[in-house]
Amino acid sequence: MNPEVKKPIFSSYINNPALFDEVFNTDGSAKNVYQTLLDLYGNHSIQDYVQLNNKAKSSFFNQGITFQVYDNKETQEKIFPFDLFPRIIDEDEWEIIERGAIQRSRALNLFLWDIYHDKKIIKDGIVPLDLISSSANYLHQMIGVDPPGGIYNHISGTDIIKHSDGNYYVLEDNIRCPSGVSYVICNRTALKRALFGVFNHYKTHSVTNYAENLLDILESVKPKGVDVPNCVVITPGMYNSAFYEHSYLAKAMGVELVEGRDLFVENDFVYMKTIRGPIKVDVIYRRVDDQYLDPLEFRADSSLGVPGLFAAYIKGNVCLANAPGTGVADDKAIYTYMPEIIKYYLDETPILNNVHTYHCSRPNELKYVLEHIHELVVKPVDEAGGYGISIGNRLSKAEIKVVQEEIKQNPRKYIAQPIMSLSVHPTYIDDSESFEQRHVDLRTFTLLGNNKEFVLKGGLSRVALKKGNLIVNSSQGGGSKDTWVLKK
Amino acid sequence: MLARVANNLFWMGRYIERAEHVARYLNVNYFSSLDAPNELSQSRQFVLQSMMFLVGEPLDDDSTILKEEDILFNIGLNASVPYSIINNVKHARENANSARDLISTELYESINKFYHFVINYSIEDFTKKGLYDFTVNITEMTAILRGKIRGTLLHDEVYAIIMLGINLERATQVIRIINAKFNDAVKAKGSYGDKISHSFEWTTLLKCVESYDMMRRYYKKTPSSISTLEFLILNPDCPRSVINSINQVHKHIKVLDESKSPDKNSTAFLISKVKGEYEFKFAEEIEEDIQGFIEKILNSLVQISLKMENEFFNY
Amino acid sequence: MSFEYSVTYYAENNYENPVENAYWQFLIVPENNDTQELISVEIKNSLEAKSGFSQNGFGFQTIRINTSERFQKINFSATFKLKKISFNPFGQIPIFDIPSNYELVKSLNFKVDHEPYLRETKYTALPAGSENLFVFDTSISIFDNLQKLNKWVYLFIHFNTGVTHVNTLLEEIINNPEGVCQDFTHLFCALSKKNNIPTRYVSGYLHQGNGYFGDSQMHAWAEAYIPQVGWIGFDPTNNLLVNDNHIKVAHGKDYNDCSPLKGVVYSQGANKTSHFVEVQAEQ
Repeated sequence: MNPEVKKPIFSSYINNPALFDEVFNTDGSAKNVYQTLLDLYGNHSIQDYVQLNNKAKSSFFNQGITFQVYDNKETQEKIFPFDLFPRIIDEDEWEIIERGAIQRSRALNLFLWDIYHDKKIIKDGIVPLDLISSSANYLHQMIGVDPPGGIYNHISGTDIIKHSDGNYYVLEDNIRCPSGVSYVICNRTALKRALFGVFNHYKTHSVTNYAENLLDILESVKPKGVDVPNCVVITPGMYNSAFYEHSYLAKAMGVELVEGRDLFVENDFVYMKTIRGPIKVDVIYRRVDDQYLDPLEFRADSSLGVPGLFAAYIKGNVCLANAPGTGVADDKAIYTYMPEIIKYYLDETPILNNVHTYHCSRPNELKYVLEHIHELVVKPVDEAGGYGISIGNRLSKAEIKVVQEEIKQNPRKYIAQPIMSLSVHPTYIDDSESFEQRHVDLRTFTLLGNNKEFVLKGGLSRVALKKGNLIVNSSQGGGSKDTWVLKK
Repeated sequence: MLARVANNLFWMGRYIERAEHVARYLNVNYFSSLDAPNELSQSRQFVLQSMMFLVGEPLDDDSTILKEEDILFNIGLNASVPYSIINNVKHARENANSARDLISTELYESINKFYHFVINYSIEDFTKKGLYDFTVNITEMTAILRGKIRGTLLHDEVYAIIMLGINLERATQVIRIINAKFNDAVKAKGSYGDKISHSFEWTTLLKCVESYDMMRRYYKKTPSSISTLEFLILNPDCPRSVINSINQVHKHIKVLDESKSPDKNSTAFLISKVKGEYEFKFAEEIEEDIQGFIEKILNSLVQISLKMENEFFNY
Repeated sequence: MSFEYSVTYYAENNYENPVENAYWQFLIVPENNDTQELISVEIKNSLEAKSGFSQNGFGFQTIRINTSERFQKINFSATFKLKKISFNPFGQIPIFDIPSNYELVKSLNFKVDHEPYLRETKYTALPAGSENLFVFDTSISIFDNLQKLNKWVYLFIHFNTGVTHVNTLLEEIINNPEGVCQDFTHLFCALSKKNNIPTRYVSGYLHQGNGYFGDSQMHAWAEAYIPQVGWIGFDPTNNLLVNDNHIKVAHGKDYNDCSPLKGVVYSQGANKTSHFVEVQAEQ
């Protein structure tokens, strides 16, 4: 190929004015924080970029940062698609996100304490009783249990989007076993290897301090009477899709990565089996779901758990992070009460917006929903995994009628939210060998300990690689970007 | 260290070492047979039979005609036969995966590259024209792995356990290779009238364990049965010799068992006992009953491995 | 006045294939409460495996046994000696303020405080159409209604062993009203909860000297929360209020929270468990 005809990197970028582009203004000029980056990337041709991109891919592959795909014959290893054009969040915007994420984590922790103790928020009529009594994730075994340090959600992952109005909105709080933090660190490593030059021009916060902070948090919730706690990470095993992350975290914290079969319980204390005999375990960062933790207490068919672990936990001899039973607070229905929950426990207004939610159980809101279905997303409150969701602007007139009827039949079953439009970010697309607009969200990671808290300055920007797609999950073909938080 | 993870590291070491020996055996036997001094040693069937003998599937009937492509595929890249190189590499990597938090990133990346090299190797290329390329790459990559093990891991328990696996496997494989080549030498004897003690197969044997050059430097003579056995079994300075491997095992078990006078039921005690036994052997003694010797030492190595599992890897 | 009882629980587990490693948890130890006092516990098993005490997620004492020896069969027995304090179940019943009691059970605070025992569970879910099988008469007290319900369940189900099993749902019982104490108790709990009364499943032992139904197995009955009084035990299998002959082990939302034996066994193939119980009064 003649080098003279190499195309500049953004030469064929199409900026759709209907979408909120985080990099380019509608007139084609770049937003301030991105100008330097664009100048630097401008030195590369698209061909150079393809080469860099391939190198970065093989670096992921060789490090074994992969997930398994099963087709009919054999398992294949794939890397998570990764985009070399980073997302930048400036210091002022980040400050809002950080304060907002901590606020939500604290409020959720107080909420969890309350619903497993006095349940004041329900008695005061703020949150309906149904939300816990109909929740399969509300564990009666946790009623009256005081987790060490009073902490339930040690690790939270908050999914945030930037809407077309330029504001951040929270879509979801994940406080079971949120994953993805290892990719934040890998993305940074890959970007540094491929394009180290650009880092000289920006003052970006490091992301490698996550593990040390996680260890601090885990140590801060040690059981009573323990001097230097022995912390471990428990994984379902190497065939789990997040195994890379489990091993990364154990290694980065310098603690053992255990499976259920490596642990046993005696006299309500937990031990791990080592080459030099049993060693007591004090804090467990568990990446195994509640129902699999202890076959004597929960699912008896679980081979991932440790018989007797739960009794050791409620006796206060071991700490589990996150606490069992936190799942009740990341149900979709609880999300809609987050502004009220924040106000109730902290007496603060929410720093990050919740997507406004209309409860069809309330007559005046029902009226609004029925009249505005074409501009709303209607969701059943009790279904998970995206079932039964109607997106108003994609429905025909006849379909709208059907939805209206269903809601009228059973208004308690439905909530509705405005259709959110995720911002877009220039993303390299293999098929067209060019940059195109793709929707992104941001998962932040917040840690809560005994008098300690931490938000990772960065996060996982997930990209929906299919054109027009709003779903960024990796299971749906999503990729990710390195995310830079700038220093003041 | 977790007992389960220790077990995985031990086997990671064993599988890496095993893949290397099988690969080199294929390479050396195949290519040295091409211009071997006698007809039988040149025969394709003879070489293929020898390969099957090494992997523990000796033929009952020498008149069975083996198909070269099938044999190479089975030993090299057939994932459904347990002794194949590809299976050894898969197991090595699987064991590394589960101990990923304990080994260095550098070592893991090398194992991972090794794995991808093997599973992506075209079967057609391998059986038709890639035997040399494939086996040389395997032996070179395992050399890199040994370098990473020595150079990027703290020389602590993790290192000791991997080295125990590597050295026990090395001793085992060297004995198995001696056994296979001794078997070949016996068969080749009648065909060209030479005595078994000066068989061409001794040279091949030395090359199979990368010890031919060392041996020539040490004895400055064409290898005979006695000098070869002496060198590969009893010479402590030869890094591939059985006694050298046992000495290594002895050294590394001390990291796990620090007691000065180990309990008589311990692994450390058994290893010392086996070591003592071979330190004062001489080659003529072995040559008298080479079959008996091979069975005995293989049994000792199995006993050491079993004892180790019970004492340290019990989970 | 008090009685002394000796309760023995036997279990035998047979496994089709050898077991390498096993854990069992027994929820069979009589609890200490106002009416009963545990004096001694003696545990034996044929493998001489390690045993110890722990507790389940609801705070009831358990016996844990663990073995990593190979076996195909284990026998287990536990003998409890306890003192039962004699009481008259009617003795604690006051004069009820009927309207305010019904008012109370409908209040939010009451529902929140008793949420676990008002929640519908797998074994206390009523099939569609049968929610109103027993509706309280609000002109009489909750206690009187529960006594009527106790009798109603007693008459509705025909006591018969071998028809139902531990996983039987109420749908089956309503279609074919035959069963054992567990089924009586589940139906009682379900209908009581439908009438806003917090009700829990109780497992324990019954001294059968008086010819009660109990089938030499562990027994089950219900406890309902009655305003002004607290938790009162009803035994619908025998149409009785719980008395000196009932020895309580544990309570929960339904059988699932009280199952006497849970095991985690690392083996393949089928297994067979049999257990039986002996209760003797020692005056």
